[in-house]
Amino acid sequence: MTKSAIALLFLLSMFSCKSASELKSEQYFVEGYQLYTTNCANCHQADGKGMSNLYPPLAGSAILNDKLAVACIIKNGMKGTILVNGKEFNRPMPANPKLTEIEIAELVSFVSMKFGKDSLYTPIETVQKALASCKAY
Amino acid sequence: MRINIFFLMLLAAATIGCKEERKLPILGERDWVKKSVDGKEVVDTIYNAIPAFSFVNQEGDTVSEKIVEGKIYVADFFFTTCPTICPIMKRQMIKVYNEYKGYPDVMILSHSIDPEHDTPQVLKKFASDLGVEGNQWQFLTGQKDEIYEIGQKNYLSTAKEDKTADGGFIHSGAFILVDKEKHVRGMYDGTTEEGTKKLIDDMKLLLEEYKK
Repeated sequence: MTKSAIALLFLLSMFSCKSASELKSEQYFVEGYQLYTTNCANCHQADGKGMSNLYPPLAGSAILNDKLAVACIIKNGMKGTILVNGKEFNRPMPANPKLTEIEIAELVSFVSMKFGKDSLYTPIETVQKALASCKAY
Repeated sequence: MRINIFFLMLLAAATIGCKEERKLPILGERDWVKKSVDGKEVVDTIYNAIPAFSFVNQEGDTVSEKIVEGKIYVADFFFTTCPTICPIMKRQMIKVYNEYKGYPDVMILSHSIDPEHDTPQVLKKFASDLGVEGNQWQFLTGQKDEIYEIGQKNYLSTAKEDKTADGGFIHSGAFILVDKEKHVRGMYDGTTEEGTKKLIDDMKLLLEEYKK
């Protein structure tokens, strides 16, 4: 009895040690991972390394520093020639009109944490702001 | 002791003898014709076979069924702007390609179901971006109706236009294995690791048939 009470206390303290934003980051990461698998991994691959010269990598790509651009590209797609990690790519990326703002926030969070240098999630407000004034990519 | 060993050997021999060789089936609709041989009526089975075709490859050359004469080949259907299963299929097909690269009697035919967009130039760029050189892997385009018809009727595979689908076309993710007599000998899920592995194994089996 005492043992399980201690265990419970320990478990509680473990959770309370995590800040709210850390918890939210984990949540966004998990949701984002699932969305990534369904919507992005076909081309960009599960490891984010892209596919030969057909589809560009996300891992190590400079675009991850520009979250507003990432949000807009996920939503609206892009076309034209781009340079990623020193390699040229020129295939249109389709738009994803079905994705909601929260889903895009989860996706931006996931790719920024998994393939970029972020350790915390990207809030939905950032995405909303980005989507309100997207330019054409 | 000696008897035991003898017994074991006998058992082993029996098991080996028992092992039946796996042979790939012939898939597709069949037809039967009656004909008379030496005054007796016999029934002949006519199997589904890939008919003559005429498409254009990534080099801009017209190719017909002659290109696969004396070869086994794998066929599939895709389009270069496809956002859904095609990238996965191509990633898997690369494995098949690498496994049988340079085999003189193995080919791959990838048919575009969006020939209006997928011109030979577009296909050529796609192939080289994929890392495919040479002519063992043919990327084909041509008359839309002909591609759809041979897909649906002979390759037993769905391929058609559908404006409601992502990308505008629907097609199955199947890899179709065809033998030297143009019979379909296997259908594999080209979107999975397991399906592709089975195809690679079955190709070995099919090539064995011609060694005898």
